[in-house]
Amino acid sequence: MSLSMYYFLTITAVNILMTWAIYLPYRVAHLHFITIANMAISGYLAGYLVMTLKFPFFWALLIGFAVGGLIGYIVSLFIGDAPTFAVVIVGFTFIYITRTVIENLPAVGGTMGMFGLPNIAKTPAGHRNLIILILYGLVLLVGFLIHRFDNSRLGKAASAIFVDKDLATSLGVDIKKVGQLLQVFSCIVAGGTGVLYGFIYKSFHLDFFTFHLVGIFMTTIFVGGYSTLWGSLLMAPILYGVPLMFPAEIQSWRMVIYGVILIIILVLKPEGFITRKFVYNIGIRLSRKREKI
Amino acid sequence: MAQNETKTASPSGVPLLKVENLSVSYGHINALKGVSIEVFPGEIVVLIGANGAGKTTLLSSILGITPSKAGTITFDGQRIEKKPVDKNVRKGVCLVPEGRGVFASMSVMDNLLLGAHHNLQNKDKNLERVFGWFPILNQRKNQVAKTLSGGERQMLSIARGLMSAPKLILVDEPSIGLAPIVVNDIFTILQMLNKEGYTILLSEQNAYKALKAAHRGYVLETGTVTLTGTAQQLLSDPGVKAAYLGA
Amino acid sequence: MQVFIAQIINGLSLGSIYVLLATGFNLLLLVALIIHFSYPVVVVFSMYIVWVVLNATGNNLLLGILAGVLSSIVLNVVSAPIFQKVMKKRGEVDVNSTMVVSMGMGFIITDILSHSFNHGFPIAYPENLTGGAPLFRIGLISVQVGQVWSLAIGAVAVSAFFVLLYKTRAGRAFRAISEDPAGAKLVGIPIVRTGIQSYALSGIMGGMSAILIAMLLHSASPGLGDMLAHKVLAVSIVAGLGNLVGGLVVGLALGVIEALIQGYAAGSWSNAIAFVVMLIVILWKPKGLFGIKV
Repeated sequence: MSLSMYYFLTITAVNILMTWAIYLPYRVAHLHFITIANMAISGYLAGYLVMTLKFPFFWALLIGFAVGGLIGYIVSLFIGDAPTFAVVIVGFTFIYITRTVIENLPAVGGTMGMFGLPNIAKTPAGHRNLIILILYGLVLLVGFLIHRFDNSRLGKAASAIFVDKDLATSLGVDIKKVGQLLQVFSCIVAGGTGVLYGFIYKSFHLDFFTFHLVGIFMTTIFVGGYSTLWGSLLMAPILYGVPLMFPAEIQSWRMVIYGVILIIILVLKPEGFITRKFVYNIGIRLSRKREKI
Repeated sequence: MAQNETKTASPSGVPLLKVENLSVSYGHINALKGVSIEVFPGEIVVLIGANGAGKTTLLSSILGITPSKAGTITFDGQRIEKKPVDKNVRKGVCLVPEGRGVFASMSVMDNLLLGAHHNLQNKDKNLERVFGWFPILNQRKNQVAKTLSGGERQMLSIARGLMSAPKLILVDEPSIGLAPIVVNDIFTILQMLNKEGYTILLSEQNAYKALKAAHRGYVLETGTVTLTGTAQQLLSDPGVKAAYLGA
Repeated sequence: MQVFIAQIINGLSLGSIYVLLATGFNLLLLVALIIHFSYPVVVVFSMYIVWVVLNATGNNLLLGILAGVLSSIVLNVVSAPIFQKVMKKRGEVDVNSTMVVSMGMGFIITDILSHSFNHGFPIAYPENLTGGAPLFRIGLISVQVGQVWSLAIGAVAVSAFFVLLYKTRAGRAFRAISEDPAGAKLVGIPIVRTGIQSYALSGIMGGMSAILIAMLLHSASPGLGDMLAHKVLAVSIVAGLGNLVGGLVVGLALGVIEALIQGYAAGSWSNAIAFVVMLIVILWKPKGLFGIKV
């Protein structure tokens, strides 16, 4: 496998996982950008554990998941039922604080970053294969869980909250519980993904965790469609991959391109490309075919 | 009865407002199905009907808030069914909404001046007239509107409409939620305004009092006009008596 | 004590900029019914326009200031139809989708700034705008001409805004829409046109802020917009979204807190401390200290 293919596959998986991490809380209208801070916190922590304290990779990964979930849980105690804009600003504040703290911590390399993380397998090729295996295993697992969630009673409760909080409350939905559950789950996913993100490149740098990530994940989710998990799955490889085919000069305008696409989609097709109705229709078609066979 | 002597206006000449075959729907629900009514200058016309019969929808589509699906609305010789609300207000239609929609956190004076948004050059003259009719508002002009009583708010709402120097006043359910004695006041005020030359189209569930004050009426049932006539005719109609007068 | 006084002056001048920006942001929220998250990013774009015009005209202050204010108005008004369209498509006012559109605008502007101006390096403003030597200096702390100006102009602008809001026809219409858009429409206030007036007015305030920030900071960088956007939204949330008086208090408070932290704490940590303070307040009261007014 070529190196560029390796990066394409791994970054696509990261984008899918992270877009899902934002998709989930957005089921209750929360844009939970704290997930990006979670990536950085868990990632740097895992890097520190492996590099300095010589932890095995899998322990560090598990700790990354756990720390993500823990932060998500503590924060969700306060903003489990907060309005959208409050959740957004808490996320951004976390990103800023995390960046400032990392910048000023010599133990994780400060502004220099952290280099030379070890291979997690015996050879560099083995390392790459194992990373891809773990990432796509995670995509399958998280995708399956989200799919189950979307079709569960909780998923319907979340949809009710998205449309009208007061109505949902009157139907007996515990808004805060559902919000908390989604926030914590998305922070767990983000924490683990952050660890893997660093191990893809075998390094951590502050430039990995800037606002361009907000742009990429938000464009992916809104262009793909925020009402199903399939939109993110489809759009993550397209939005990441298609610009790679253009010359570097155009690629450097990536954020402008994303911004323009995002605005155009919101103006013309506010629900994104893949809507719930679209998925439903495909489902019906598939089941008809099955009947014919 | 003295009241009957005042009911001299008769449907003659050119109607000030003419609604023809108006249909309005909200999604799949047809709120109005081909309604036609006429209001002549100097009249008080009342729309009576149960909740959900389409009275509020009719008034709000005349003003241009609710878009119509089919039919025409002619006001003062001009078609207005496609015009935006602010144009219609400028032209001389105003709506006194149900529930006395005043701006609660703004002062009485601000509320009145909002009514005169397109007519500020005549605001002093109009304020003087409005305060002449509603002295209580003059006393309270610097108070915040939410401190007013229900009846005072209804007066403010009517006064705000008058500030735009309207030719036609649409009044939606003025008596709802008011004490009976206040309701009498409100109808007295509407009759007085009518004598001053204002044309009024009123929607009302309190059919008896409204018909007593009005010249003519239309009965609306599930989006269609089922009966029309002078107020006297409607008051003595057995169907109206049974359905709306509780007799 | 001198450090304290100097930092209070610095803080108030910084705070007056936050107040201007938060007021413009809240005006758009209340009257145009959008969350223009990237409004401060648009302001930073105007700062770059000022810089370009100053460079091109040999530091002609008048032209620079004019260009800054005009570009801010134009950018704001031009974005109005996009926001209107998004809201219409949704059938109802959905502030969340306007926030996402605004963020998209922010990505575009920030990326353009980091590509097309000064190779993405921070830009510096000439002395005839920033005022040159400080008025007085105590140790590392100094009070600059730009700070005094921004405090004075900020105070005048905010007072003028409140006079406009409470004493004029347009202000009355603004308040009516912010209290009850449907009721305002009913009494005959043209909602769209009044909304566009609010875009223009917040554009004027943004343009003035652009000049004041340039005078105060002496420089700008592509990342400044995101930073300001974040702080302005935080100020508005801490105050209670749409609460103009609250924004006034919290904006000034944030400026003073930041300046005091800078005066007494190690430089690289000062930003983090301000953010932690904001975070605690937001987590403690997600609906703001003074209550939401929408």
